[in-house]
Amino acid sequence: MIHFYVCLKQVPDVYAPLQIKDGELIQDSGRMVLNAYDASALEEALVLTEKHGGKVTAVLAGPEKAKETLRKGLAMGADEGVHIVTEEGSAYDSLYYAGLLAAFFRDKEYHFISCGKQSQDTDAGLTGSMLAQLLELPYATNAVGLTLEDNRLLVKRQGDHGQEMIELPSPGLVTCSNDMNEPRIPSLKGIMQSKKKPVETIQASSLTGDGIRSVTTLLGYEEKPKREPGQKFEGDPEELAITIAGLLDSKENLM
Amino acid sequence: MSFDVLERSHPISFDLSEDQIMIRDSVREFAARHIAPDVIRRDMEKTFPHEIIEMLADQGLMGIYHEEKFGGAGFDTISFCLALEEIARWDASLALTVASHTSLGSGHIALAGDEQQKTTYLVPLARGEKLAAWCLTEPGSGSDSSGLKTTAVKQGDTYLLNGAKTFITQGSVGDVYVVLAKTDPSKGTKGISAFIVEREWDGVKPGQPMHKMGMNSSDTAEVVFDQVRVPAENLLGKEGYGFIDTMKVLDGGRIGIGALSVGIARGALEESMKYAKERKQFGSSIGDFQAIEHKMVNMAVETDAARLLVMRAAWRKDQGKPFTKEASMAKLFASEIAERAALEAVQIHGGYGYTKEYHVERFLRDVKLMTIGEGTSEIQRLILARELKKEMGYME
Repeated sequence: MIHFYVCLKQVPDVYAPLQIKDGELIQDSGRMVLNAYDASALEEALVLTEKHGGKVTAVLAGPEKAKETLRKGLAMGADEGVHIVTEEGSAYDSLYYAGLLAAFFRDKEYHFISCGKQSQDTDAGLTGSMLAQLLELPYATNAVGLTLEDNRLLVKRQGDHGQEMIELPSPGLVTCSNDMNEPRIPSLKGIMQSKKKPVETIQASSLTGDGIRSVTTLLGYEEKPKREPGQKFEGDPEELAITIAGLLDSKENLM
Repeated sequence: MSFDVLERSHPISFDLSEDQIMIRDSVREFAARHIAPDVIRRDMEKTFPHEIIEMLADQGLMGIYHEEKFGGAGFDTISFCLALEEIARWDASLALTVASHTSLGSGHIALAGDEQQKTTYLVPLARGEKLAAWCLTEPGSGSDSSGLKTTAVKQGDTYLLNGAKTFITQGSVGDVYVVLAKTDPSKGTKGISAFIVEREWDGVKPGQPMHKMGMNSSDTAEVVFDQVRVPAENLLGKEGYGFIDTMKVLDGGRIGIGALSVGIARGALEESMKYAKERKQFGSSIGDFQAIEHKMVNMAVETDAARLLVMRAAWRKDQGKPFTKEASMAKLFASEIAERAALEAVQIHGGYGYTKEYHVERFLRDVKLMTIGEGTSEIQRLILARELKKEMGYME
């Protein structure tokens, strides 16, 4: 019986309009969704436990509102949930979340922890690796495929020089890419059942550990600089060719 | 002495429950992933999407509000409306299939069926393993549905069923037919009864799918019943109560048509907004011209108003309150504003809106059914005039 813990994060819907005003990020807090990378991590854990037997626990650290996202994880098929409730509206960095999760996992028994390789809002891609470090677990990142063999995880990961196959012993941690599968959409049955599944609620303030602190500070937001408009040339083809060839020759970093 | 005896009314809430939000979001995701991509092709090829029905069944969407013990998902009518809106936003044909299967065919069995009938028929229907077709309309009886000519004559422990039905949704692909027939022609509407008929039985003759203006990937056909022997245990509800039950089934069905109309109207608005932003004329997006802005605003206001009417009717049904008037109002208003929205959407798209490259011409063809099916707008006004007169003491 393999036991997976999958870490979930609630993120703003990437399709919801965003606005930056006076260095503040304004977004529709009503449109929050499950991080797509985490959804893939959960899907893969569900597929593996359906095939080999086992249990999937979804863990989410986030404010009270994020509970709806944990429920989505349960509706997709996770057997139970853990909600580590953080303070509303606080800005924490990746290390804080890694520390929080590490404090939670410290006395837990499991085979594997699975996380999305990054989250769609910050794209930092740090929490998974930091968590593995804090728990002193072997880990692999950017998985695009997982297979289970005798309680070892065979991780196919996207490396710089093609796909690497990595054997990950248990207990271990893996971070998942979102192109490894198509996460299932909760069925009505899943939605109904999710209400009856056990959810443990833990206040973040009740967890203690060295790592639970933010070491970086978010100073503010600014708009992405607009791309400079291109130049348009008109005229005789021959002259144009000479002009463009001249430009290609003179401008640095071109081609 | 205390005056604090008045019961406080329930506060009005426009919030959906967490369950309802989850259902809406799930169906929205499903629609974007599985329904939207091929909808133009399905309309052009006029194919019935068995493979999508199978996926909908897996999601539990073929029996949303039927009881869990009879294979349904056990949700409410509001959830049903949310799901229909999300499906109809892209594919009204598919939404029509789901709506008619759930609220008419299966709905009649859920309303009037006994334990055995529900176990035998409702379970596979609500699970989406089988499709239901509700056979009321005949070539000679549409709005005046009580004028039907199909007969069921009792002979021992069977009824002999004879007659022809038309405009039957799922008529050619259906597995289970609920058929309205006269058991006692001398008694008028009180001589009408309902029967559950299986497709495979001798004498059941489904016709070819009809060629229609729209709703092309939903199935509409004639069904002929020629000397069909229906076992007495397949009498649905009490003998002579078929028409009364039919009126109740239609009330429920109208809520579905309302929700479907809201979905089409929303599709018309969303597609128009998208196009109006992309389309540049006279140096700016056409969506920045007041003429286009006003069209889109009207669509948005009317769609919202229609949705509120539909939700109120659904809510009343879920609360066990009478909802005939509210369902009829919702269906009437939603279908008519959806028609306007689709027409305006084509106008906003201009020449492109007239082509099959864009969704809006399909919306316009599909939406026309909404003011016709399950009671034309004229019949809704007739029902509502009666209700209004009753309420206002117009009738002595």
